[in-house]
Amino acid sequence: MNQTSPLGSPSPAPELRRQAIALESVVKRYETGGETVEALSGVDLTVQTGEFVSIVGPSGSGKSTMLNLLGLLDTPTRGTVRLRGRDVTELSDRERTRARKASIGFVFQDFHLLETLTAMENVTMPTMFDRDRDATDRAIELLSRVGLADRTDHTPNELSGGQKQRVAIARSLINEPEIVLADEPTGNLDRDTGATILEEFRHICDGGVSVIAVTHDELVSEYADRTIELIDGVISRDK
Amino acid sequence: MAVRNLGRNRIRTALAALGVLIGVFAIASLGIFGNVLALSADAELGGIGDQVIVTPNEDTGTNSLTVRDVDAIARATGGDGSAVALRTDNALISASGGQTLGQVYGTDTPGILFTAAAGTIPDRHRQGAIVGAAVADELNLDVGSAIEVAGARYRVIAILESEEQISPVSPNNAVVLPESAIGGRTYDQVVVQADSGAAATAIADRIRTQLNAREERVSVFELSSLLATIDEFFSLLNRFLLGIAGISLVVAGVSIFNVMLMSTNERKQEIGVLRAVGVHKADVLRVLLAEAALLGVVGGFFGAVLAGLAAIGLVFISPIGFDVVFVASNGLYLLGAFAFGVLICLISGAYPAYKAATLRPVEALRG
Repeated sequence: MNQTSPLGSPSPAPELRRQAIALESVVKRYETGGETVEALSGVDLTVQTGEFVSIVGPSGSGKSTMLNLLGLLDTPTRGTVRLRGRDVTELSDRERTRARKASIGFVFQDFHLLETLTAMENVTMPTMFDRDRDATDRAIELLSRVGLADRTDHTPNELSGGQKQRVAIARSLINEPEIVLADEPTGNLDRDTGATILEEFRHICDGGVSVIAVTHDELVSEYADRTIELIDGVISRDK
Repeated sequence: MAVRNLGRNRIRTALAALGVLIGVFAIASLGIFGNVLALSADAELGGIGDQVIVTPNEDTGTNSLTVRDVDAIARATGGDGSAVALRTDNALISASGGQTLGQVYGTDTPGILFTAAAGTIPDRHRQGAIVGAAVADELNLDVGSAIEVAGARYRVIAILESEEQISPVSPNNAVVLPESAIGGRTYDQVVVQADSGAAATAIADRIRTQLNAREERVSVFELSSLLATIDEFFSLLNRFLLGIAGISLVVAGVSIFNVMLMSTNERKQEIGVLRAVGVHKADVLRVLLAEAALLGVVGGFFGAVLAGLAAIGLVFISPIGFDVVFVASNGLYLLGAFAFGVLICLISGAYPAYKAATLRPVEALRG
């Protein structure tokens, strides 16, 4: 994971070398019905390569906003987002899409698999529009890594919740990202299944990929290296 | 991928494709029908378009055309055609096979107006009878048979081709005799066979100015200008039919718009996921447009095929021949309707696709 940046930016400074993604004094405001809501009011967060961070907090504390900013799905009102030391705050939509594809994988609470595609096709979906690229071998490897080698041709409605989430994890890893973002990854799973998913995340971190999970589930914190608690848009606890 | 997405809601997809099918079918079949109608009318009426019929104007006391009139008409015709002076009468025609009442034409130059199916029409008609197809059929006549017309005996020297076209001088029920066989020094009508419809109009104008200078001596009847009006009417009719068909395709377009809007709305989250995992806007747009185009291609193809079959079916249920159905302009209607169908689909798919593709991923994910 310590190769030069795939984004072609200048080599990061040594102290940033292990930094996967960082938020610097990030503020995010929304306009809703003429009212301005401040979802994040000055957040600083640095996630290291291979670190498993869980973000907890009550509803409306800004967790989802933070995840969207980390996932380059949204831009902050103020402050800076750095991906491997590179300032990605001001990127155009096209560049952001490219950066997202190269560096970030997503896992969602509702799995968000495409119902019409098989497990295999769902895993290769992010590469579907790449010409001259066959990700099948990597998809097979990833699916067997999450224990679904025998389920490649099944469609999502033939899989259990845990299996779906493991397909989603395999999908998030298809582009060899540096960061996997998970939004309530265990939210729709029973405790035991949730535990196997979290173990999966640990394996991913051991492979040098950072995992950031937004969750209500206390179990996640047991597996995480660090738990960050957000309240009213500020980090109230970081341990 | 587009195919599978369409497969998700089969009934809705099928209904949308059916809408396009009906629209394309309507445009193609109404266009072809109108075209076939115009073409067969042209074929039916074609023969009268290049003839000018000059008859005496009885309103001004003219009962017949004199030799001088005939010469004047011939001069007016000039090199644009040939004038044939006719004496006409009705007479009882009898032969060994029976008898019938028929038209009798007297002329020395029947070859300009008529075509023989059997025997030969002489350049100068001096003796013998030339018999129309219907008369020959009815009286069982052949070349060489003997007939009696108004008491005088003639030998049949030629039998005419059956004339399908509507024509002012119809030979089917007629017997053509030499001019001298019908008494008198005057003529009942002059038929000018012009080289073209335009020439016929010009000849008619010249005849009017030269013969009717002082008084309306003759009636000049020519159909080439009428034919142009008929053509105009058919092209108007065709445009009108296409307009109606176009409306049905626009309705189909609206239904496709609705289908695309509903399906992109339903798939908002899915599109959000696609965008989140790094699929570019342009690729999302392409998939959605491919779906719309596919609807158009499938619906349009079957619509065009059905319209083609309907046009062929027309031949079997109506007196229309294959010759007016299998023409390039009809193929053009099929192709045009198909292309229009696909275009309508792309246009009505464009907005929902654009809207879905440009949605911010965060909002799309929220659903």
